[in-house]
Amino acid sequence: MDSYPRNWTWITAGILLLSAAWIGLTTAFAPATTGGGVAFPRVGFTAPDFELTGLDGKVVTLSDYRGKVVFLNFWATWCPPCKAEMPAIQNLTLVYPPEQVAILSVNATNQDNLADIQTFVADYGLTFPILLDLDGNVNRTYQVQALPSSFFIDAEGQIQKVIYGGPLSEAMLRAEISRLVEELS
Amino acid sequence: MLPVLPLGPFVLQTPFLILIAGVWLGLTASERYAHRHVYDANRLSNLALASLVAGLLGARLSFVAGHPAAFTGNLLSILSPTPTMLDPLGGLFVGILAAVIYAQRKKLPLWQTLDVLTPGLAVFFIALGVAHLASGEAFGAKTSLPWGINLWGETRHPSQIYEILAASAIAVVLYRLQATIRWPAGVCFLGWTALTAFMRIFLEAFRGDSLIWPGGLRPAQIVAWLILVAALTLLGKRWPEVPPVVPPVSAPTEIQEGL
Repeated sequence: MDSYPRNWTWITAGILLLSAAWIGLTTAFAPATTGGGVAFPRVGFTAPDFELTGLDGKVVTLSDYRGKVVFLNFWATWCPPCKAEMPAIQNLTLVYPPEQVAILSVNATNQDNLADIQTFVADYGLTFPILLDLDGNVNRTYQVQALPSSFFIDAEGQIQKVIYGGPLSEAMLRAEISRLVEELS
Repeated sequence: MLPVLPLGPFVLQTPFLILIAGVWLGLTASERYAHRHVYDANRLSNLALASLVAGLLGARLSFVAGHPAAFTGNLLSILSPTPTMLDPLGGLFVGILAAVIYAQRKKLPLWQTLDVLTPGLAVFFIALGVAHLASGEAFGAKTSLPWGINLWGETRHPSQIYEILAASAIAVVLYRLQATIRWPAGVCFLGWTALTAFMRIFLEAFRGDSLIWPGGLRPAQIVAWLILVAALTLLGKRWPEVPPVVPPVSAPTEIQEGL
């Protein structure tokens, strides 16, 4: 330590004090997290609300599912990865009780047709609500750039994860949903 | 923002591609630095490869360990090519551990190895900023400043651009310094670490997605401050071992080679 530069101690102390002061000063800034106050299709934001009519004629509103974990999936019948991940999504209905987890799938109906959707749902034996986005408004609101796209929404209505593309494996879906279900209790 | 690149039935994750490019460019920069500093570039490549492979495996296994119930009755899913089934922190830990084990087995000199890796890290951190810009992650806090950008429904600090500029500035400063002065071993790495930690402390305040502890403290700033303490302390200890020397006159041709 004979050649240890005397100035270095002061330089180090100065830099550390300056940075500690900045840390202290910036605690006074407005809270940095979005806190769910704004509705936007991004992680950390409130999921934008929507109302759509299902294939069964029932009207579904997203905000009605507050208090439950929501898995929201955007898809179309002509999209191969959508087809590939549908059995895994259907299996989720066997794993999670509907009081805890809601599975909503929004079909990009403006790029699809009703007959194909009905055949698809019958072929895959889908039992969860199939919502028809006839004019593509909900797809636009959620800024869906690729199909499938999936949003994991917590019980407070905040988006916790977004995945563009697929197919998603059942293990992946269960891992993410279980994490959110654990927060319920 | 360009989080995905639809290509027919496939969806390419743009940030992931940018990070792969960052690893490749970073390794190229480190190999050039290794050649100039008489360090075996093959050993560097092997070290990076071992660390990357182990890191990927570690990230997947850590994800599986964190969600065992999701894989029960479906063990083959562990091999699923889904890139989202990775735990970044677990991967980082296993990747570093693999690098340490490899370096010890091959008896690689610690400080010289870290110095050789530094240009790669500097380039990778620029790529990380670009990946954040593509995905829209690490977004800024609300602002009314004239250079704010409209993002996620608000005018925000262009925090990803701050990140790219800061990482680029650090890379340029280190490049200039290492090209003109021969530092003692370890100073290049510790200097980069200290500068990066300092920049993180400063820039974190402009982020809109920070985790915040009660009292308004941001854990990322606290961790960065602790790293800064360690880096500056070690820098002080490494500094005086050998006084910096100016390379011989014939060196400028080598300096042109880049990081």
